[in-house]
Amino acid sequence: MKETPNKQNRRRGTSLLLSIIFIFGIFGTIVFAVSRRISKEMSEAAIQNLSESLDLIESTIEAILRSEVEFQKLIAQEIARAENPEEYIRVYEKNQIVAKMSLILSGRTEGVSNTGERFTEEDLDFSAGGTILGLPISRSYLNYMGTWSYTIKCPVKRDGEEIATLYAEYVYDAIDQSLPEGFYNKQASLYIMDAESRRFVLKPKGMGQRSAGHLNLNDFYRANNIQDPGIQEEVEACLNSGRNILFYHDIREERALNYMWSVNNGTIFLVGYVPVEAIQQEGRTVNQNIMIVVVSLMTAFFLCIVLYYLSWKQQDKLRKEQETERRLHSQQLAEALHAAQIASESKTMFLSNMSHDIRTPMNAVLGFTTLLAKDAENPAKVREYTKKITASGQHLLRLINDILDVSKIESGKVVLSFEQFALNDVVSSVEAIIQPMAKAKRQEFHLEMTGIQHEYLIGDETRINQILINLLSNAVKYTPEGGHIWFRIIGLKQRSDQYEHIRIEVEDDGYGMTPEYLKTIFDAFTRAENSTTNKVQGTGLGMAITKSIVELMGGTIEVFSEVDHGTLFRVDLELRVLEEAIDRQFWTQRNITHLLEMVGNQESREMIPSLMKDTGVGIDAAANTEEALNLIHGGADYQLVLLDWEDFGLQAVRDLRQELPKAVPIILLAEFSAEGIEEAFQYSPTGILTKPFFVSALRRKIEELWAETDGARGPELKEDSDLKGMHFLAAEDNEINGEILVELLEIEGASCEIVTDGRLAVERFQRSEPGEFDAILMDVQMPVMNGHEAARAIRSLDREDAGNILIIAMTANAFAEDEKAALDAGMDAHVPKPLDMELLKKTIKQFGRQKEKL
Amino acid sequence: MHMNRRRWISACLAVLTALMLTSCGYEDPKNLISQNEGDERVVNLFSPMEKTDPNAENVARTASDLTVAMAEEALNVTMFYRTYTAESYQEKTYDEICLDRARNNMDDLYLLNPDAVLALGAEGKLQDLSGLDSAKNLREIVRTANTVDGKLVAIPQEVVAYGLFINKDMFAQYSLTLPETPEEFLECCRVFQENGIKTPIGANRWWLETFVFAQAYADLYNGGNTAAEIAALNSGEAKYSDYMRPGFEFLQTLMERGYIDAEKALVSEAIEGEGEDFLAGKTPIVMAYWGAANTETAYGKTDFEMEVIGFPSSRGQMPVIPMTGFAVGAEAEHREDAMRVMDIMVSDEALQIYSETNRVISPSKNIKVDCVPALKPLNDRIEEGVYVLGSNAGMNVEQWGNTCLIVRKLLGGASVDECMAAFDELQDTALKQS
Repeated sequence: MKETPNKQNRRRGTSLLLSIIFIFGIFGTIVFAVSRRISKEMSEAAIQNLSESLDLIESTIEAILRSEVEFQKLIAQEIARAENPEEYIRVYEKNQIVAKMSLILSGRTEGVSNTGERFTEEDLDFSAGGTILGLPISRSYLNYMGTWSYTIKCPVKRDGEEIATLYAEYVYDAIDQSLPEGFYNKQASLYIMDAESRRFVLKPKGMGQRSAGHLNLNDFYRANNIQDPGIQEEVEACLNSGRNILFYHDIREERALNYMWSVNNGTIFLVGYVPVEAIQQEGRTVNQNIMIVVVSLMTAFFLCIVLYYLSWKQQDKLRKEQETERRLHSQQLAEALHAAQIASESKTMFLSNMSHDIRTPMNAVLGFTTLLAKDAENPAKVREYTKKITASGQHLLRLINDILDVSKIESGKVVLSFEQFALNDVVSSVEAIIQPMAKAKRQEFHLEMTGIQHEYLIGDETRINQILINLLSNAVKYTPEGGHIWFRIIGLKQRSDQYEHIRIEVEDDGYGMTPEYLKTIFDAFTRAENSTTNKVQGTGLGMAITKSIVELMGGTIEVFSEVDHGTLFRVDLELRVLEEAIDRQFWTQRNITHLLEMVGNQESREMIPSLMKDTGVGIDAAANTEEALNLIHGGADYQLVLLDWEDFGLQAVRDLRQELPKAVPIILLAEFSAEGIEEAFQYSPTGILTKPFFVSALRRKIEELWAETDGARGPELKEDSDLKGMHFLAAEDNEINGEILVELLEIEGASCEIVTDGRLAVERFQRSEPGEFDAILMDVQMPVMNGHEAARAIRSLDREDAGNILIIAMTANAFAEDEKAALDAGMDAHVPKPLDMELLKKTIKQFGRQKEKL
Repeated sequence: MHMNRRRWISACLAVLTALMLTSCGYEDPKNLISQNEGDERVVNLFSPMEKTDPNAENVARTASDLTVAMAEEALNVTMFYRTYTAESYQEKTYDEICLDRARNNMDDLYLLNPDAVLALGAEGKLQDLSGLDSAKNLREIVRTANTVDGKLVAIPQEVVAYGLFINKDMFAQYSLTLPETPEEFLECCRVFQENGIKTPIGANRWWLETFVFAQAYADLYNGGNTAAEIAALNSGEAKYSDYMRPGFEFLQTLMERGYIDAEKALVSEAIEGEGEDFLAGKTPIVMAYWGAANTETAYGKTDFEMEVIGFPSSRGQMPVIPMTGFAVGAEAEHREDAMRVMDIMVSDEALQIYSETNRVISPSKNIKVDCVPALKPLNDRIEEGVYVLGSNAGMNVEQWGNTCLIVRKLLGGASVDECMAAFDELQDTALKQS
């Protein structure tokens, strides 16, 4: 099992995609792991960082508290030394460190303050038990200045005896001054909370920190949405035990580290939060840079993939194009090889066929010549043998002609010779050939002609004949005995006035052809082969020749066939109409001005006036006897009556004859094989015209009838009917052919002198007496000097008769172009080999007369 | 083709080289600490703070912040914001803290209530602001209300008007027209109560005095004889208690009939106590200041149709206007900067921004701004010139703070007569001082 390139490509694409996904997967995992590790380390670093910062602040505050206590102890010592401790207090000026200083002497409940008013301990709450360096510290409260403060009390001892208690009030604002400004780039919030009351006693200053949460811990929870009971419990536990707590909680949708940091063993706490990003500013940059690197790598990777893909695609495209080209070449080569093989096979088969087909008649020729030699004394047998030899020879000739035809057509050397011709001549000559063949096979042959507008046309009559004979003889050949053959000539609608558009149909109900064979029917060297047709002889070239000729004429040929149902060939041709007017004189000379036409078939009835429209003869049409009689009775003067024999028969002839003047001939239009027509002759003058109707045929018939009437039949044909006494000079390089020629001419009473090449012919003619030769028969292919050159040389001789001596080309090159070449060389006519004496005689007669006239 | 490719390659190389040079061309400075330009100038601002939802925008604060920011930018100073909020009614009030802090020069700028303005002004603790450029733009009423002993001691950023915030849907539900007089007001309350609304008025310990002012001074400020009547009060010819009595009696009636929950009111902070029920449509009437109608954290966004009207009085619906204002400590540490800040914060430019943001009445005579639809009835009255002042520095007895305290006594169970006696005592003290 081999995979198709598409499948291979798809598999390659899938594996490439999987590889990319795999690489991405690995890459993603690594990046993810690294990120997680970095983020974990950063988180730990952030906690450590914040802890260190808070420790620092804690130490600072504790240092302030300790220094305050130290200061207070010093004051206490001074008071102890003072004579009047209360007076010392009264005159003590408040300063930035101590907002208020009070003293209660031992044993009293009231004391004095440096602010002037009476002082009691009632408003202070030392119940929490907080101490600094052993001195009690009060719960935080709002002092007389409207700010949060605390009081530390210190015993005043004189000589070891406690004489009073010193109360010093400190404000948290003093601590505020020592706290860092711009804690974490001013993004951190920092409160100082009194642990006992949970009140915030020092709040952040400045813009942007006013929103909420300044009042107390609950307010902080509410404002920052710290509602998790677990966290609150944990915080509570830490507050009660004076431990630090640090936890993550999102503040305004931003990840933040929240803290409650114990100061002075938990009497006060640092409370607040720091957005993690504020701590990890460099981390963020690192992350961003990692991301940039990752994105750059990914982009580069993607670009590489895209470039690779594009390059791969381009290469693939190139490869595909090359592959397509290669495939096309291979295909073309294969086709060419196949065609060559077929051609070779065809030619082999053709040669084999030819071999067989040539050998068969050759066998007959040789066989009969043997018999001829044996039975030379028996004139009857000799005649019989010669007849058969002639038949075989003619078959051989046909075969050779076909081969040559094909060869010529294939090499494009065929030239059509356009001449004026009458359709009638074509049809009748074809019919004359086919009709007997059909009859021999007891086939019914039907000839139909409809819609033809012009009878005289211009075209290659011989080739048209060839087409028709090929088609019809095939129809006869491939139709079994008793079958039917239809030959139709249909005039189609003219596309131009100057052209007759003719459709020729040849239909039979014979063996038919298989669809496969139909495809090759027009190919050369093919022949229908099956058990039925094997006995049919042929060259297998007929249809190829036919098609080539049709196409050469600018026509089309189609074939429709079904096995056992017959075949229909349809040839469409456009033939030029003869522009010259038909000789009206013919009719006027014979006083034919009116004609009665009595034809049953409407199409035929209409066609006759159409064909005769140029003759100037008026035509009345009658569809039946009654109409015809009425027309005659109506006083019409008809010089001729045309009557369809098949439609009306003898009775109509009889009826008409009774009413017509005796001189008016009745011409019967009849089928070739019309029966019982002889009886009509008793109603003379009567003539028979074979269907279909042609004007030329009618003219010929009228000539005949008039001649009979005049009793003047010319003896023309007998005149100069032979070659008796004539002397020829023949140039023929083939000795046998020369001998045959001499013999044949001698049979005709003529003599001939043979020369073996063109030069000799020229020399001999040069030496001859004027009038010594009646004509020169010139072979074309000869050694030393060929026929054409010899003809030119003779014409160019300085002799009186050099220009008009009849030179007839006599060559096996029997085509129109050969004839043309001969004429071009200065020869007068062309007679093909093998020599047909009748044709030679006819040609000599024709051209001899012309020369005489000159 | 080749030329193009070469050009591309050259361009890419050039860009690459430039990038490399840029990335390598950085030079470390010798001193790694960035140098600050000069010392930072600071102004401490003490102002009240509201507890708010952390994610809600407080319009009033934003408007004020905008003007503060203007000053900071213009003068290159930093404003430090200090605040205080009582945790409960037992603790010191904001006003008390204001007094303490101003007396001890703790801050530079203060946002003071009228009573504090009067008290501190009288003590000479506040700087005279009349010399500021922006003071020239002030409306006369504003100037009068903030002048103590001939000194302009405070300038507000808005004229704070108090009114009744009405749930119109509930009034419509019981086919009630909005009350004009005290009698009509009582009738409305009766109907609400009969329809199951036990306490139709939501109150706190601060703002019930507005009812008293409306009735007390409706004639004084709108009768065309204001100066003479105030002069009579200052000289002792007329008694404050006589003016105050109808209002107190009215409050007494409201309490007796249960239209007000006196006990709750006495311990409730502003808006915190009564706001929830009002927003929930349980209470049809509350009292609040103008800005509350613009602020989402107060009554700026209600599910019902709200309207703000004046308090009931013999002269119909009566807006009450106390004058809060910014003041500068006379002995403040950064007094000069504070004065400059003040000049910018109350300049026409700043007040325009403030008024447009908060849609309030501006103290500058040059600025007029459209109000929200709910405030239209109140605004119409003020524009007509019909209102009473909740504070007047021209009166020798401070009104806003004292009345508030005396109303609390009433809430606490004191009789109207006892309350009137308190006024008389205050008047006597004032007369003696003068």
